[in-house]
Amino acid sequence: MAACDAENNIAVVGKEEVMMGREMQWLRIDSYYSGDLDNPTTLSQPVMCQHCEQAPCEVVCPVAATVHSAEGLNDMVYNRCVGTRFCANNCPYKVRHFNFYQYQDTETPIIGLRHNPDVTVRSRGVMEKCSYCVQRINEARIEAKKEARDIRDGEVVTACQQACPTQAIVFGNINDHNSQVYKLKQQSQNYGLLAELNTRPRTTYLTKVTNPKSEIKQGDA
Amino acid sequence: MQYQETRRTPAEVLAEPVLGSVQTYEQITDRIASIVLTDKIQLGWLVALTIAMSMLGMMGVSLLGLFYWGVGVWGLNNRVDWGFDIINLVWWIGIGHAGTLISAILLIFRQEWRTSINRFAEAMTLFAVACAGIYPTFHTGRPWLDWWLGPVPGVSTGMWPNFRSPLVWDVFAISTYASVSILFWYVGLVPDLATLRDRAKNKYIKVIYGLFALGWRGSAMHWKRYNTAYTILAGLSMPLVFSVHTVISFDFATSQVPGWHVTIFPPYFVAGAVFAGFAMVLTLAIPLRHVYGLQDFITMRHINNMAKIMLATGIFVVYGYFLELFFGWYSGNEYEMALTYNRLFGPYAWSFWALIFCNGVVPQLLWSTRVRSNEVVLFGIANVVSVGMWLERFVIIPVSLTRTFLPASWGWYFPTRWELSLFFGSIGLFLTMFFLFIRVLPMISIFEVRELAHHKMHEH
Amino acid sequence: MHAENTQPPVYGLMVEFDTPETLVEATRQAVAAGYKKLDAYSPFPIEEVSDLVSSVRQKFHTLPLLVLGAGITGLATAFLLQWYTSAINFQIFNFWRVIIDGYPINIGGRPLNSWPAFTVVMFELTVLFSAGTAVLGMFGLNGLPLLYHPVFNVERFSLASTERFFLCIEAADSQFNLEKTQKFLEGLKPTNPVEKVMSSEYFSEGLEWAELL
Repeated sequence: MAACDAENNIAVVGKEEVMMGREMQWLRIDSYYSGDLDNPTTLSQPVMCQHCEQAPCEVVCPVAATVHSAEGLNDMVYNRCVGTRFCANNCPYKVRHFNFYQYQDTETPIIGLRHNPDVTVRSRGVMEKCSYCVQRINEARIEAKKEARDIRDGEVVTACQQACPTQAIVFGNINDHNSQVYKLKQQSQNYGLLAELNTRPRTTYLTKVTNPKSEIKQGDA
Repeated sequence: MQYQETRRTPAEVLAEPVLGSVQTYEQITDRIASIVLTDKIQLGWLVALTIAMSMLGMMGVSLLGLFYWGVGVWGLNNRVDWGFDIINLVWWIGIGHAGTLISAILLIFRQEWRTSINRFAEAMTLFAVACAGIYPTFHTGRPWLDWWLGPVPGVSTGMWPNFRSPLVWDVFAISTYASVSILFWYVGLVPDLATLRDRAKNKYIKVIYGLFALGWRGSAMHWKRYNTAYTILAGLSMPLVFSVHTVISFDFATSQVPGWHVTIFPPYFVAGAVFAGFAMVLTLAIPLRHVYGLQDFITMRHINNMAKIMLATGIFVVYGYFLELFFGWYSGNEYEMALTYNRLFGPYAWSFWALIFCNGVVPQLLWSTRVRSNEVVLFGIANVVSVGMWLERFVIIPVSLTRTFLPASWGWYFPTRWELSLFFGSIGLFLTMFFLFIRVLPMISIFEVRELAHHKMHEH
Repeated sequence: MHAENTQPPVYGLMVEFDTPETLVEATRQAVAAGYKKLDAYSPFPIEEVSDLVSSVRQKFHTLPLLVLGAGITGLATAFLLQWYTSAINFQIFNFWRVIIDGYPINIGGRPLNSWPAFTVVMFELTVLFSAGTAVLGMFGLNGLPLLYHPVFNVERFSLASTERFFLCIEAADSQFNLEKTQKFLEGLKPTNPVEKVMSSEYFSEGLEWAELL
């Protein structure tokens, strides 16, 4: 999450705003608990924009400020955004975050040095969300174009992927059937979050395979 | 005045004709026009206008704060992105519906009792739509860019609005509704403006009314085309009045938020709008007829009919609530079930039960003729219904958003004082416009009442 | 036309009645007598009078047709606007920075020509265009706004918007004859003497122009 915040110039909104439910983070970790109340098992699920194929947020935007790119990303066009917030209401994952105030300090010159120069600093009144680190994709594409080739699998590494110590996040081209992400998506435990809404999320998860019954010894199954 | 309310049984009170004691055309004209032309400014009116205008000032302050600091001054958050703004949009638009219904649909069905209430009901429509218009305009994050929602290409980008979005439909629906309502109202006013022009003593007032009367002279040929145009407008307004709240309900019905994604929304929103609209017409009509001595024009027959419409649409709305719950259960969908449970027993359950009380229980009193013939009680019921209809939108809009699909997206919504002040401010805008209207324009359509009197004489 | 005359031209002769029934009867007799350029004035619409007057002045009614045309135009405009801007990638117009061309984008994986979603705007524009035409067409065909009219020169005519009913036979009628018509109108038992409606030269010239058009 820290990597995501730093990479994407995500504003620090302060305690009061977070208490109001206006936290600003493109990636959140949902925790689910199971088992005994005193000593529960914790299951973590990182949730960011799912980049749905049939995105509910895109259809309801009156000014087409959130649209599909040719590569399949769900793009958020900040300078087109008027701020009706309908997209956030209609997002089943609630991964869209609104700039209720001018959260970013654009006046103090030194603050500018802190920002990632490849990422827009969002102003008041616009919606923002995970972009799959589109600036890294673009950088890789430029490099690839210079060498007149396609982007190689694993060439684009998102900030969260880079920072994840257990390498739980994989990013790549799902149209490339040789890519790691395509192969992982073929596994039977692959599922989409709230896929029953027919949003066809592009981000998918792999179910954790556990051995819940301790009497079954390892190796029996 | 042959008007004695107190010594009659309820049935006798309700049997009043649509036009009080038989009057000449001159009397009709004089009674209505004198309110505008000759009556002195009363102290009560001045006090009421002052209060309304100070509330309007509150709206100015609320909007300035909103502009200066941003939408953050409201209590919205990343779970609940719409709150008072959209509740009040829907509430005001709904109130507007009764005016168009009275002027258009009752005209087509030749309900002659519409005649003396259509003018101020239409005015009410316009003012309510104006109040409603404030919310979608200023609730956006960057309201100075709102014109991007219109059917114009963006400068330098050439981008167009997304015509698939219900918000763009709203832009068209509300602006069409407002335009057609203004046209309808103005066309109805022209012959009366000519009357005021011919009766005004003050030269300047005469000129002003004369300009707006466009030189209307009551020619038979003109009346012929006038009636054609008026009937066409009424015919066009009939589907329009049903469509406006239908389109508003599409904002919710086409989304996929549990509690919004309900196919019964369009008809039930329309019924709710008529319900709320008649409640507001009663709220305005009951004091008006007493303050301005218009009991011969707005008789107990009118009040009774409006109360009956309220009762009928109220039952329809309650049926809608029931069906929403039924769908929640019958769908077998766990999100819908959770929503239904949350609505009935969740942290905001008080609003649902208060809504059932206001819109389900209280209007049942209208079955009684004794209640329908008692204006004080009716006035109270009408106000309870207005509160109930507001609660309905509260239950649907923010409360549904507080509990959506994932537990991580559960949240709260508390309005801030900025939202409250904008709401009171919009009531101030409504009242200010209404108070000015009753002193500037005839609040009852004079020529239509003359026509009604003419028909009545023929019957005898 | 009446330039040699120092008197202002006569627009017509006008009589006054106090009930709608007498006006209906008078109009019927005037129409029966063969007068064509006549008009009645009343403080509210009286169907019989309107029908009688329009039976000699204008039998065909253009207003409903105009409204129908406007409705179809609105429908077509709305569909073409939405279809062209969301589904067609073609530039027709680029003036300075104003670009009017199609802008197809993939929005939520929906078809570019999402016509079911376009029906709402199609309906709204149909109603808007029709309603606007009904009102503007009504005023336009009635020749309004027209703040000056000879009938306003008659002093008692201000009562036409309150309680009195007037019938006016215009000088432009081929049968019009100041004495004969006056005698005819007196025979209709009006409540007040027959009034001569004076026009102004400018207005008469304007009327001639209007008839040329």
